[in-house]
This record gives sequence, structure tokens and C-alpha cells, in this order.
Amino acid sequence: MSLMRSSISITWAVWKALFLREAVSRLSAGRAAWLWILLEPLVHLIILNVLFGFILQQIVSGIDGGLFITTGLLGFFMAQNTALRCMDAINANAALFAYRQVLAVDTVLVRAALEAVLLLISALVLLLGLGLLDYKVVPQDFLLVMVSFVALWLTGLGLGLVLSVASELIPEVGKVAGMIFRLFYFLSGVMFPVSAIPPAYRDWFLLNPLVHGIECLRVGFFPQYHAIAGVSLTYLLGFAMVTMCLGLALHVRFATRLVAQ
Amino acid sequence: MIMVDDVYKRYRSDQGVGKWVLQGVTFTIPPQVNVGLMGRNGAGKSTLLRLIGGIDTPTRGQIERRCRVSWPMGFADGLQGSLTGRQNAKFVCRIHGHEQDLPDRLAYIEDFAELGDAFDEPVKTYSSGMKSRLQFGLSLAFDFDVYISDEVTSSGDAAFRKKASEAFKKLTDRAGMIMVSHGEGTLKEFCTAGIWLHEGKAYWFDKIDEALKQYKQSLQP
Repeated sequence: MSLMRSSISITWAVWKALFLREAVSRLSAGRAAWLWILLEPLVHLIILNVLFGFILQQIVSGIDGGLFITTGLLGFFMAQNTALRCMDAINANAALFAYRQVLAVDTVLVRAALEAVLLLISALVLLLGLGLLDYKVVPQDFLLVMVSFVALWLTGLGLGLVLSVASELIPEVGKVAGMIFRLFYFLSGVMFPVSAIPPAYRDWFLLNPLVHGIECLRVGFFPQYHAIAGVSLTYLLGFAMVTMCLGLALHVRFATRLVAQ
Repeated sequence: MIMVDDVYKRYRSDQGVGKWVLQGVTFTIPPQVNVGLMGRNGAGKSTLLRLIGGIDTPTRGQIERRCRVSWPMGFADGLQGSLTGRQNAKFVCRIHGHEQDLPDRLAYIEDFAELGDAFDEPVKTYSSGMKSRLQFGLSLAFDFDVYISDEVTSSGDAAFRKKASEAFKKLTDRAGMIMVSHGEGTLKEFCTAGIWLHEGKAYWFDKIDEALKQYKQSLQP
């Protein structure tokens, strides 16, 4: 009889296999799929620049409007894409639950990891490209930028864990989540600084955890940028921790329901 | 050894909770015994196989597996349509912990499935016969103690069926098998013991002939 594998080695093998599989299907879906992954933020960037770029150059003095929007977009996409891709993970991988080694939560975690890798690559390419065009793309506080990215990613992962279970149990959740994220695209300070919001509404505005991550990202990026009082990474990380714990708990509670057909 | 202890199963659907498919199923399969599973359509054969294979859990009761059990072979799922046969095969090798000897396993699967160039084509372009060839090759590439097969021998063309049944014969020398089939000949050929599923209960027979007799009697009006 062959040796039994330990739980950890099985999980690790499953993660590796799922990651490679996800990466292959992501990058080979349709013609030049990898190109579209790079182009998506670029297209948003161009449209937003045309719409707002020239206004912003006057609002935030000393910071280029294009770069300002780039940082906001990358931060927002880190959370949104991770959350939405994770949400569909269980459904997209339903066929794999024929192998009992593969758990629903594995597919979600692996998708989140892949999303982070892909976004970091496209961020790197985008910033390099802007760098070649003589933009100042080297962040002043690299560590803060990375921490903000990680915090936004964890938020996306937490939301993704919760949404993946919720949308399996209640399919309508998926549609609503997509709409809400589209709304938050405009409410997260992607294309304007939080200081542009009238003080009376700022407290409400700061309830949105994504705002905190995007603001911190910009503080780390631009030496001239000043965040308003009340912006804190702790709030964002706290939100991420709460949603991740809730999501993992839901995955444990509904483990069999998610895999059953 | 596989122990099934007082297992109940019912499914939940959009219309609410379904009726009991299995009601208090209890039996023990000793090591290296080939068991044929029979029963009417909808008697719960595939459900029981899924439970034994560990891809679904019983509503009540327990199943203990003290050996390496394969996934239920012959199900249409487990393959991703947009990936090639080779990519699917790599995935299955990896989750079964065969990262090191991946090329050997792949070579075996490719050789057994006889798909030719189609091995590098997306699985969604496969015919159902080609799919089952691939799945059959996949499940034979690993050393399980017990293989679970759901009508797998009945797929493919005559030549492949012959090859499959020879491979099955060789398997039964070193491993146990639990199989579902509606073909009496197939069951008699491979199995020594039998389980007859009837109205949510399972009846164990040490001799496959007796199980078949009971099963055929139940089909009489």
C-alpha cells in the first residue's frame, strides 16, 4: 500500500496545480488574452485622462493627472478584480470537485493569488511605459505602496471569500455585487482626491474602506500628496481581516453545500 | 477496507428538500474484493459511488475509507473543456502528488488513451468516446487500492472496450473495485461480491450470482 500524504502536502499540491491551470486558462482564453489583461487598465486610464486629466492637473498641484489616476485605478482594480474573480471561482471550477482533494475554498484562494500576480505585472508594465514617457514613476515610499497594495488585495480576497459563498447560495448576489462595485468606482476616489469632497460629507465618504487604501497608495507614491485626517490603513486592514474571517467561516459552514451538485 | 455505516442521503434542490435516496445503508467492503453495484435507475447507485468516492457527504451516517480510493471514474466532469487533454492530465497528476514523475505518468496516459494529436486539442472538441478514453487512462495512471467505476467499461468502440477490460482484469489482481454496470456479463466477469440497492436499502451478497438473481427478481412485475 502506498504512503498516505499529509493534509498540508495535498493542499499544497492542489494549490500549485490549480494555480497553473487557472493561469493557463486565463492567458489562453481567446485570442491574445494576455494582451487584454495588460490593456484593460490602460483603456480605463486613457478614457479617464481624456475626461478628467486636465481638470486634475489644477486640483492637485505638482502631481500629474495621468499618474494620479493610474495609482487610483491600480489600487481599485486590485480590490475589485480580486473580489469579482474570486466570487465566480466556485462556479467556474465546479467540474473539479469530482476530485475530493479539491475544496471550494482552494479555488477562491488560488484565483486571488493569480489575480494579484497578473495585476502586479500589468502595473509594472504600465508604470515602465509611463516611465519611458518621462513621467516620475518611482514611488517615494516603496514600502507604503506595497503595504497599501497588499491591504487592498486582502480586502478583495475577504470580499471574494464572502461573495463566493453568498453567490453560490443566492445567485442574485453576484449581479448585485457587480453593480455595487461599479458604483464604488466613482465613490472610491479613483479620479479625484478625497480633499475635494466637502468636509461635511467626508466622514460618510471615509466609511468606504477602499478610499483608505487608495489614499495611502498615493501618499506612498507622491511626495507632494497629503492625505486628509482620518485616513488609516488600520481601518482597511481591519475590514479585510473581518471579511476574511467571515468568508472562511462561511466556507467551513457550507463546505459540503458548495461542492454538492 | 471501506466501511459504510448507517448512511442516509437526500438532496436539496430549488424545490426544497428531496426524498431520501439512501435510508440506512450499512456494509463493509473487505480489501481486494470486487463488488458489483446493481439496482434500478434512480435507486441511488451513482449517489452511493459519489459518497464512497468522497466527493459528496452523507446527510447522516458515516463512511470510513482505510485505503486510497479513486475518484468515481466515468463521470463526464473532472475535465475542463477549454484546456487540452494534456493540460487536464497534468492537473490530475499534480493534485495526486505526482509532480516528480509527471512525464512518466503523462506518457502512460497518452499511450493508453490513444488519442493521437487530439491529446493536445481542447477537451471540448472531443467526442464522448474520446473523453471516456482520456478519463479511463487518467484513472489507471495512479495506484489506488480501490477503483470506483460508473459504467466506464461500456464506453468507447469495440477495440477500446477490449483494451479497457484487459486493463481492468490486470487491476483486479492488485486492487479492489466497486463498479456499476447494467451489463450482467460485465458484472459477472469482474466482480465476486454484489450489492443490491432497493428502496433506499443495500443488501450485501458474497456471491455476485445471488445478487443478480435478487435484482432480476425485483424487476419482475
